[in-house]
Amino acid sequence: MGDARAGKLTIGDSVIETPNLFPVVNFYGGGTENSVYGGGIHRTVKEFMIGADRIGGDDAYAKFFDAVMTSVSSLTDYNVSKERYADYVYEPIKEREVFSPFNGVIFLDSGGFKFLNNESLDGSDFQEDIDQAKVFEIQKRMGGDIIVNLDHPITPSDTHEERLEKARKTGKNIEIFLDLSDEYTGARYLTLHGYNYSMMDAFLTEITDYVSAEKLRSSFDGIALGSLVPMKDNRSALIDAVIDCHEVLHDWGFDKLPLHVLGISSRAVPLLVALGVDTFDSSTYLQNAINGGYFLSLMETVNVNEANFDECDCPVCSSQHMRRWMRGNAPYKKDMLGPVAMHNLIIQKREIEEVRQRVKSGDSSSLVEYIEGTVAQDKPTRESAHRVVNHSLGGYFQ
Amino acid sequence: MKKAPKVNEVNEFLEIASDFEDPLEVIRESLSNSYDANASNIEIEIKSREMGSDIIIDDDGDGMDLRDLESFFDLGNSRKTDSIGYKGHGTKIFYKSDEIVVNTVHDGTNLRAVMSDPWKKLNNRVLPEYEVTETPVSNLHKGTRIRIHNFRSGQGFDPESLTYNKIEHYLKWKTIAGSTAHMFEDDQHEMDITVRLGDEIDDSYPEVETKNRLEFPNEQLEPDYSSDFPAERMCKHYGPTEVEADYDGGTTTLHITGMVGGKAARNELPTYGKHSAQFGVWLAKDHIKVERLNEAISHDNEFLHFFFVVNCQDIELSANRETIRNKSSPVFQALKEATEFHLSKVAQDPWFKEYLEIRREAEIKRRARNRRASLKLRRERVESGDSGEPSNRTEVLLTLARENENTLPGQISVEDYEPDSDVHAIARQNGKLRNAAVHCSLTNHFNEELTFEEVDLIICWDHGDPVVLREYERQGYLGEDIEIDLEENGLLYGDENPTYVEILPLSHHIEPMSPRAVADD
Ligand SMILES: [Zn+2]
Repeated sequence: MGDARAGKLTIGDSVIETPNLFPVVNFYGGGTENSVYGGGIHRTVKEFMIGADRIGGDDAYAKFFDAVMTSVSSLTDYNVSKERYADYVYEPIKEREVFSPFNGVIFLDSGGFKFLNNESLDGSDFQEDIDQAKVFEIQKRMGGDIIVNLDHPITPSDTHEERLEKARKTGKNIEIFLDLSDEYTGARYLTLHGYNYSMMDAFLTEITDYVSAEKLRSSFDGIALGSLVPMKDNRSALIDAVIDCHEVLHDWGFDKLPLHVLGISSRAVPLLVALGVDTFDSSTYLQNAINGGYFLSLMETVNVNEANFDECDCPVCSSQHMRRWMRGNAPYKKDMLGPVAMHNLIIQKREIEEVRQRVKSGDSSSLVEYIEGTVAQDKPTRESAHRVVNHSLGGYFQ
Repeated sequence: MKKAPKVNEVNEFLEIASDFEDPLEVIRESLSNSYDANASNIEIEIKSREMGSDIIIDDDGDGMDLRDLESFFDLGNSRKTDSIGYKGHGTKIFYKSDEIVVNTVHDGTNLRAVMSDPWKKLNNRVLPEYEVTETPVSNLHKGTRIRIHNFRSGQGFDPESLTYNKIEHYLKWKTIAGSTAHMFEDDQHEMDITVRLGDEIDDSYPEVETKNRLEFPNEQLEPDYSSDFPAERMCKHYGPTEVEADYDGGTTTLHITGMVGGKAARNELPTYGKHSAQFGVWLAKDHIKVERLNEAISHDNEFLHFFFVVNCQDIELSANRETIRNKSSPVFQALKEATEFHLSKVAQDPWFKEYLEIRREAEIKRRARNRRASLKLRRERVESGDSGEPSNRTEVLLTLARENENTLPGQISVEDYEPDSDVHAIARQNGKLRNAAVHCSLTNHFNEELTFEEVDLIICWDHGDPVVLREYERQGYLGEDIEIDLEENGLLYGDENPTYVEILPLSHHIEPMSPRAVADD
């Protein structure tokens, strides 16, 4: 239907429906097994994921974690000791007793985004040098279902030379990554960077100095479009990038591969689905909750203190226990926001489900109607919404 | 004791009639009345008279019975429910005259009503009366004929300023003759409208004839590359579209129809008044345009390319139909938002974007052609040898660079140049950096009201008018004293601790130019 597509993504034994939104989950936050390896909001989110007793042992939440995004960098961010690091990578996430109720797909990002702002992946706390080989080893040991090469994202202020240099570094990593992961059973995604056709084309040209286009096509199972985070609030630039990405992938013969957009806020999702993106990851459900934001819909947020839980029928808002936590009557003050994050995630997952059903219906007017009722109602996004409908969904005036 | 507030009837009539100034408004009201009376033919005649104009309106509609005639003259008891005239006020415009004569045939009876001196009587605080006589006529007759004698136009609405051209455009823009209803309904009945002007007003045509329908120029979706401006005749129609808009308290319906097009396409539309003031987005009631809402088109799209009519029966008009009264209502807000929403779809139509792109390219090519023409002139000037005088800062610096080794005392090189800052250049002279202002003439520094703060050197082509400089010496500059020594090429500025600034007039060091090289093409 237009450029939008709905389907199934099969990775090993797991099948998820697309388009789909992967919530960012932090599996290891410096904690121990008792705290589900985390603290604060991250802990509570994981408790929902596994149906822990503390949130009432409810397993109704598992389905919202059919696929999740996490990153190698979540190990490096928490000053963990060498011993704790060794414990974290001792066995794959899903084989760990505490996470056994969880069987969603894990997209394990390389953490390359840490290279932005001249930061680096720093393994010094646990005495490890982080390079492509190390990142792959961690991905493997943590048991990622989808993994990507270690990439060097660009920023809008990079010069042409800087972008080429990053592409060359990424290209070297891709060569190593493909060698090392040849026997890997999960899916491998290729990271792609650029804000327009020519930049992405230059990126691909540069990395094919290291790995041939032929090899890229036969080795990778999907494409992950990165570097868009710095412009996530500039909708029209974001849409330009995704439209151009589609063209580049077509011209390079990658258009059959599923397309993932890395780290984009959920509000743009319906538009990007219309442009043909299959999967997304987002931490907005968490970020908003941390600031006390309670989603009324994809587009509307209120402070949790002003929320009327009677108006939401999600399992969180339907639970007296969780309502008390959201009102502030929780064992720890920080527990208050976990249920808010879970509610937010449910709102997002329901919206993506709605979008998927409309794409599946094969009737583009159904998706157009959805976009008109949501994204186009938001003034700053309206023009982009109308542009996408005209560009990819048959248009208003054809 | 109960008391009822009183209405001064005479004042009411006076006020309402005073709302109307333009004799064209008589035409607008009459056309609407005739349409409501199912007329298919209407003829209007306007003649210039000493005090104003005589206006005759003749239609073949259903005519009026006695009660209709009463409402025609009465105030505030219009019998019309689904009609275009506003609360029956429209016909009261006729009171602004010396005589009103109505002949109307309905069901085999002719009613003739005569009202003498309505305007004079109202102004003497007397309610004018009218006399009705009844005569039977054959059933073949039909319709209404209204004759207004000496209609008082307001100031600036002299009937002699009317022309057929103006009337035709007014009809299409402001009256039911420009209705867009036919794009939405099949049953809008057609009307032939004829207007004749006395020869003393305009004898350029015998009459104008039109129908009660506005038509858009034909679509032309493709650019015409045989023209210098390929987008000029491009035209695309948008609509008719019916849109429902919800608001707190109800739902309203919008009928949106419109077009986007180049100048040549827009010129095929009738216009009224200033051409550029006609395009954009019009709000309409009864499918007759009332007021524009150009802010409905976002700013990066020039409204001039657009012509849209947004009809909504829930807007309320002022008595003279010129403005919308309920702009602060929720229904108007909803109308506005829905209109903006719709036009944003149009602005994001790839066709429209392509149209803008074709226009832009034509404009760039036209500019390039102009540049070529002026380049030719410039080359001719260089060849002729009198190109020596710089006309901007950059040329002054080019002259400096050219003459550096040959004629100037000491090398001056320009290390940094920011023409928009107050200190335009940083120059190096004998190894030292100096802050320089650069001008064609020294006088420009004063004209531009630049200070001398941080300025060590003024590089200029010449001094400019010495008299101007002497005036500054006499009156001071920016509140301080100034002394300019043109012989020594220096100036002192400031009352205490004056700043010394060196002046370097290049023309003093350079011989008149002679052609150095001849460009070969
Ligand atoms: Zn909820």
